[in-house]
Amino acid sequence: LKLSKDGWGGLAVLAASLFLFALTLGLKDNPLVPIGPGYYPRIVLGLTAALALALFVSDLFSKKREAPRPERLNYAMVVAMFAVFGLYCGALPFLGFRVATFFYLVAANAMLDPPKSIKSYNRVVAIALITTLLVYYAFERYLSVLLPRGRWTDF
Amino acid sequence: MFELLAAGLVGMLQVKYLLPLFIGSLIGVVGGALPGITITMTVIVVLPFTFGLEPLQGLAAMIGVYVGGETGGLITSCLLGIPGKPSAVATTFDGFPMARKGEPGRALWLGIWASVLGGMLGAVVLVAATGPLAEVALKFGPWEYFALFVLALSMVAGLVESSLLKGLVAGALGCVVTILGNDPVMGQPRLTLGISWLEGGIPFLPVLIGVFAFAQIMSDIERMGFAKRTEALDAVNLAVSHLKVLSEILTRPVLLLWSTFIGLVIGVLPAIGGSAANMLAYDQAKKFSSRPEKFGSGIPEGIIASEASNNANVAGSLVTIMAFGIPGDAVTAVMLGALTIHGIQSGPLFIVQNPALAYGMFAAYILAHPLVLIMLALGVRWVLRIVVVPKSILFPVVLVLCVVGAYALGNTMATVYVLLVSGIFGYGMVKLGFPLAPFILGVILGDQIEINLVRSIMTDANPWLFVTRPISGALLAAAVLSIVAALWQHRRMQRKAAAALPAESDF
Repeated sequence: LKLSKDGWGGLAVLAASLFLFALTLGLKDNPLVPIGPGYYPRIVLGLTAALALALFVSDLFSKKREAPRPERLNYAMVVAMFAVFGLYCGALPFLGFRVATFFYLVAANAMLDPPKSIKSYNRVVAIALITTLLVYYAFERYLSVLLPRGRWTDF
Repeated sequence: MFELLAAGLVGMLQVKYLLPLFIGSLIGVVGGALPGITITMTVIVVLPFTFGLEPLQGLAAMIGVYVGGETGGLITSCLLGIPGKPSAVATTFDGFPMARKGEPGRALWLGIWASVLGGMLGAVVLVAATGPLAEVALKFGPWEYFALFVLALSMVAGLVESSLLKGLVAGALGCVVTILGNDPVMGQPRLTLGISWLEGGIPFLPVLIGVFAFAQIMSDIERMGFAKRTEALDAVNLAVSHLKVLSEILTRPVLLLWSTFIGLVIGVLPAIGGSAANMLAYDQAKKFSSRPEKFGSGIPEGIIASEASNNANVAGSLVTIMAFGIPGDAVTAVMLGALTIHGIQSGPLFIVQNPALAYGMFAAYILAHPLVLIMLALGVRWVLRIVVVPKSILFPVVLVLCVVGAYALGNTMATVYVLLVSGIFGYGMVKLGFPLAPFILGVILGDQIEINLVRSIMTDANPWLFVTRPISGALLAAAVLSIVAALWQHRRMQRKAAAALPAESDF
């Protein structure tokens, strides 16, 4: 079974839409409306499954051309950036916006452009601090947007 | 109409509106000029700042970003040979060669003036067409709305260059997002997957922010360390005779009008955007030119066509959102979100119910052009300095602003988690080659498609009404036709590619 990314994508969408379609069968109809809450989802999921199947089948039977030499890409950095961002989102309710954002900016900036001297370390910390405070004051003080407070820090 | 427009223009000249418009235009120019930062991302960054403002102030800032971004993108295209945004790619073809031939000022100002003229011509259509189109839309019942939204979705999916099937799957996936968590008609929870914060449904704005911001930023991060850094230009002479440049454009009225028309039409079509407009206008200019062989060598026609069309495209997108409530592209999708946050219903009733806001938006669009012109006349050199800000600083800050934007939508962490999941999903879609535009349109229109489908069935259970009612039937027929046309176009391109292969292999 030789599939390209189209085939794998089609297969993943097909599996997800069939799983959700099965869940819609358990939805109870509402006596107030002639069609229940599962009516439209079944149409959408059925259509999605059919399209995904067509994508999978067309990829299965298509002539595979030799793929061009892959471009050199830094996937490790992408995974690391997603991980740091995920940690940031997870830490926000516990550390609060100011603390979590400061640490996130330091970490993300240092990962994308690793500091090589004391001066560049200071620059990373200064940028993180200034950005955090600017964003905090702009939103909390001037735009009346309340930002998350930390359960652990109360800050 | 003219009284309302005059009132809108006078109102927009007040400092409380002019300032957000100015700041938005400035941010737009810088964001548009920054290679790797799209206008969508710039407007996403600006979005949370508009939450605390009046609706018109916020929308003026966003329109400023949009117009400024479309114009700003040409700066790096002409002077560095790097398009600041996808809708300035075609500007690079002639703008950069002209700059390299020793005429950077001419290249830059041909683009700026063409942008302004294209944008102002677009404004005429925006003001004249939006009201009548909205009146047509007011005659629509749920059958027609259902058909219109299906048409919008099928057109976007069909216009995807890579694969029609993938475009359709992406559009369907967008609709799947809207069925999770909440039945929009009765408010009944459904398909929550046991996740409590899904019970209210998934708001489209954090999905849009997550998908676009992460898809763009992570795709750039993949290349970090391998791509060349952008160097600042200091010693370029940008002096030019503005009268000469203007006469160069105005002596080509057909080119200017045709490119503007293309930009407008592409803008009106949902979710296609300026990237298609500038390429199509450039291609048309080349086809109709008496010297097509000169295109790409630094001739004014290429710059005028590309820049007039991408600014007119903004007006077209605004027509669609203001008359039908369908976003013309990702930027207007964010604007739609901003309207929703302020409790304003977009769609055909928008102009009737909010004339001051609607004509204020027209005024903001019109005034943004001279503002951008003045801004660039005074500070184009500063913009060139700003574009060398390292991405390692810029990207984390943009992501923090995305978090603020998502969080502020409901003061809940749930929307931040939606942002994160959407970001991962959007990046995954890009890696698997699925287009984002149909997906986002599906997310935005999915609820509306369901609501109108249920309403029509509740009004009359006869399903044939969808095809027997004239407008609904015509719209559904157009949807089918757009799919058939896209299929035909894809087949033709495949045949062409197959025919070209043996010839290429000879060399």
